[in-house]
Amino acid sequence: MSGGLGRMATDLGERSSYDAASQCCRCGYCEQACPTYVAEGSEVRSARGRNQLVRLLMEKRLERPASAQEALHTCLLCGACQTACYARVPTPDIVLEGRRLLAEKPHWLARVLTRLLAERRGLFELLLKAANLARRLRLSVLARPWLRLAGLPGLAEADARVREAPLVFLRQTLRERPAAARPQWLYFAACGTDYLFPRVGRATVAVLEFLRGPGNFMENDCCGLLAYNYGDLEDARLFARRNIERFEAAGGRGPMVGDCSSCTAFLKSYPQLFLSEPDWRRRAEAFAAAVQDVPEVLAEAELPALKDPPVVTCHNSCRACHGEGLKDEGPRAIRRLAGAAFRELPEADVCCGGAGAFSFRNPDLSDRILRRKIARVAGTGAGVVAASATSCLIQLADGARKYYPECRVVHLSELAAQAIQDAASPGAP
Amino acid sequence: MDDWGELRRLLPAGAVLDGEAELAAYSYDAGLDRARPGAVVLAACAEEVRRTVGFCRRRRRPYVARGAGTNLSGGCVPLRGALVLSLARMNRILRVDPAGGFAVAEAGVVNLKLQEELAKTGHYYAPDPASFRVSTLGGNIAENAGGPRCLKYGVTTDHLLALEAVMPDGELARFDLKDRGCEVMSLLAGSEGTLGVVTAAWLRILPLPRDVRTVLASFASVEAAVGCVSAVIAAGIVPRALEVMDRDTVRSVEAYNRAGYPDAEAVLLVELDGEPAAVAAETQAVERLARERGALELRSACAPEARDKLWEGRRGAYAACARSAPNVQVEDGVVPRDRLPEAVARVREISARHGVKPYLLFHAGDGNLHPNMCFDERDAAQARRVHAAGQDILRACVELGGSLSGEHGIGTAKREAMRWLHSPRALRLFRDLKRSFDPEDLANPGKMFPDEGPWPAAPPARPARLLGEAAAHLARKVRDCAAAGRAMAVRGSGSRWPAAPEGCAEILTTGMHAILDVDRGNYTVTAEAGLSLRELRQELAAQGLHLALPEAGGTLGGLLAAKAWPDARGELLGLRVILSDGEVVELGGKVVKNVAGYDAARLLLGSWGTLGVIVDATLRLHSEPLSARAVPASVPFGAGPWQRKVKAAFDPANLFNPWFHQAEAR
Repeated sequence: MSGGLGRMATDLGERSSYDAASQCCRCGYCEQACPTYVAEGSEVRSARGRNQLVRLLMEKRLERPASAQEALHTCLLCGACQTACYARVPTPDIVLEGRRLLAEKPHWLARVLTRLLAERRGLFELLLKAANLARRLRLSVLARPWLRLAGLPGLAEADARVREAPLVFLRQTLRERPAAARPQWLYFAACGTDYLFPRVGRATVAVLEFLRGPGNFMENDCCGLLAYNYGDLEDARLFARRNIERFEAAGGRGPMVGDCSSCTAFLKSYPQLFLSEPDWRRRAEAFAAAVQDVPEVLAEAELPALKDPPVVTCHNSCRACHGEGLKDEGPRAIRRLAGAAFRELPEADVCCGGAGAFSFRNPDLSDRILRRKIARVAGTGAGVVAASATSCLIQLADGARKYYPECRVVHLSELAAQAIQDAASPGAP
Repeated sequence: MDDWGELRRLLPAGAVLDGEAELAAYSYDAGLDRARPGAVVLAACAEEVRRTVGFCRRRRRPYVARGAGTNLSGGCVPLRGALVLSLARMNRILRVDPAGGFAVAEAGVVNLKLQEELAKTGHYYAPDPASFRVSTLGGNIAENAGGPRCLKYGVTTDHLLALEAVMPDGELARFDLKDRGCEVMSLLAGSEGTLGVVTAAWLRILPLPRDVRTVLASFASVEAAVGCVSAVIAAGIVPRALEVMDRDTVRSVEAYNRAGYPDAEAVLLVELDGEPAAVAAETQAVERLARERGALELRSACAPEARDKLWEGRRGAYAACARSAPNVQVEDGVVPRDRLPEAVARVREISARHGVKPYLLFHAGDGNLHPNMCFDERDAAQARRVHAAGQDILRACVELGGSLSGEHGIGTAKREAMRWLHSPRALRLFRDLKRSFDPEDLANPGKMFPDEGPWPAAPPARPARLLGEAAAHLARKVRDCAAAGRAMAVRGSGSRWPAAPEGCAEILTTGMHAILDVDRGNYTVTAEAGLSLRELRQELAAQGLHLALPEAGGTLGGLLAAKAWPDARGELLGLRVILSDGEVVELGGKVVKNVAGYDAARLLLGSWGTLGVIVDATLRLHSEPLSARAVPASVPFGAGPWQRKVKAAFDPANLFNPWFHQAEAR
């Protein structure tokens, strides 16, 4: 068994994981916030149900603990339940504790990926480039049955759902930028942006330069969320320590901006990884305080308006609204950019079903949640939908392709960069 | 163990769950009790409910219907290894008919989802339990849920027009408010799933009010706040909500969300709705009354955001409790409104004795108290203290002439306390009803009623009411006839039904004609059944009080028994009835909200004397004359199978007005 957190930083203060789970009084007020409960109408797929099961696991009151596996693995970790809860019971963290209690050891693929990212990033990038080349040549389709046979249906699913296959990664481009002597910001490249959506990272950097002047790329490591969600907590701590050290070496001053909300939300939760290590905890707190997500950068920013924008709407990525408490910063920013072309998205803060590897591991359930989301997007008549996390970009693009091809999916930064470009181009007023 | 194979064949794939974790996830509701079910069925339509109940009947498996599982009294905890029948997937709104004033929805529709759909046409559904964002209509019906708004608009049962339910015989049945004869639909409401599984409901909907205003007033004492509440009601104003919080509650909320409430012994919120001019006038009147009653501070608001701000503290009260400890026991006693100050004093004394701290919230307009007590269920001693305090508070409510539950139900949590409220004979009547409907005791067994067997030492707590001389005489006569097996003709003045067939003993109610109690503080009247309606109306009018009565002749009892007054269901609070063995039971009482036991009083409406002899009735009073519509009485009624089961529970030998059911038997 890999170790659990043991203690958590909850809205009510620091608690043992068991106390945090026991804070749930089973009132059920979270039920309608839980996308899997709404989709399936089953308590086993609800936030309250999962919380109760983890509590039973902790109390060792399940004769067959493995029977709780499916309930815990169908959790999106979106955190909508936490927003709905009066006591803000941290169900995503509790579910992860439950998964760690159940798992003998983390999935080997998660382990290999984290090891590669931690120790052999060059090799990782090489392998990824080779894979992306194969995918561009449509060779990967042939590999899907073999992946399924090899017990990796998730990878086959990912290959089918993710269309991005860049051959030049973001960090290569960023390294070519001249270093700023007095940086006004630091840029934290999320793995998703780096390896799948370099165009998003380029847009974010352009927006930051426009708004705040010169700044530097952090040369950061993976944030550690992959290890936290699917792998080993010690690996997550390893990444966290390295990033904290980098940040300190870069002057220890923020803002440090990232453009994947899942990633920035996790960066902001670093202190929770070090509750029993006072020195690291203090350093993690200073680090977390410097982190900013794109929605909060854009919400109050002075930006030009988009020129002749199409009808645009904004999905509120879960980890932004439920993880970081950025209730409506994203939609507000898009409203300012698009003016009258902006349409409010009903149920904007409900998960799209992407949720990291969730859509690859639970494709059917994910698709039911996705269809509801795309129906809401289509209901606005939007030609563009914006989001702020990599997972949402992949999932929404997949949904748009299947159910609403008129719609394009972009990151918030891309719209902001477009507005800047519109204003700079000849013929602008 | 594995007799679920047949059930699986009857239902779609994936509808039957029996893994250990799955059973554990259906072992609780929002109360404290837990029990693992034998299996779980996720039903998606009434046909699947029918098949499941049919299966349970054949296999003698108990079953429990469940909506969102937000019950606070253990109502959906599966005892005896019952199968949990989840209706959460039955979430279709079938029809919204604004012109007809109704909506039709499946049982698993979430209250809020219906409200959202209705809002599109400018309508709403009145019942608004605190759980409305997640709880289902089926659950609301099973518990007869209330909410702040029910002061003006009534509780769930008052908004039902018809119900479709799978009954314990495994068949789908439909019950309508307009059914002739005793009305089974109202019996299902609040029966906690012990008599059948409601699958769909026809609900009354109302146009959204054109104007809403909120007034906040603070007072130096709970007594002063309640005095203001009584003054408002006496002035003929019926706000849609009248909520009071005590100082401890206000302080705990302030620490949580800084709603900016005044720091006073009591804070009162009054919300008025209706046409703008009337609402403005009523707001002024409420403010004047509050000042006269010593309000320390007054605020009012009409814009939605400003009203929201005033409600913030009230809404945050439960949240503040839920944050201060892992568990919150939300008690739910109810007392006649004017006894609220005494009830508050008793709650404080009891809490101090048990060493727990109560945060007091009440729907003051209808005397419904919610003392919230925070604790940690893992601390057994603390949990016991809270439970003991809760039980003592309930007993105090009964002693003050109130009831055990205004809106949360009895479930497993208050079963034993039912002995304080109901006499052994009344409990037997409830059990007879249950047995008649569900002879095998499969529908949600072990709920609502205390175990049978020897009566424990705990004496009844309900204040005794003596029978009048005429009533006592009638009761003796009924007992003698019953002993002799002699048929009886139960009649009032005979204005609605011609002379009874020969050979029956005459049970004439007209000898009972006293007005027993006019309660100005609580705004209720209790009058004997044989009193003429004209006399009753005149007597009350002379005191400036009114009933929502129709212009009809005959006796009060006759009016009720003939259901010549369809709106009686909302006005009737309690009845005393002579049963077919000559014993007298009290059904309901003086409180305007009451979900402790079956709503048997409403069954007497339309019963035409076939179920029992009405001794007296307690009705709501109004300060303005209200006209009510009388409908021509139509008899004999064609009793359906479930009405015959009601009859069998009340009068198994068919002694009361036997010709109704004889006609049916032909």
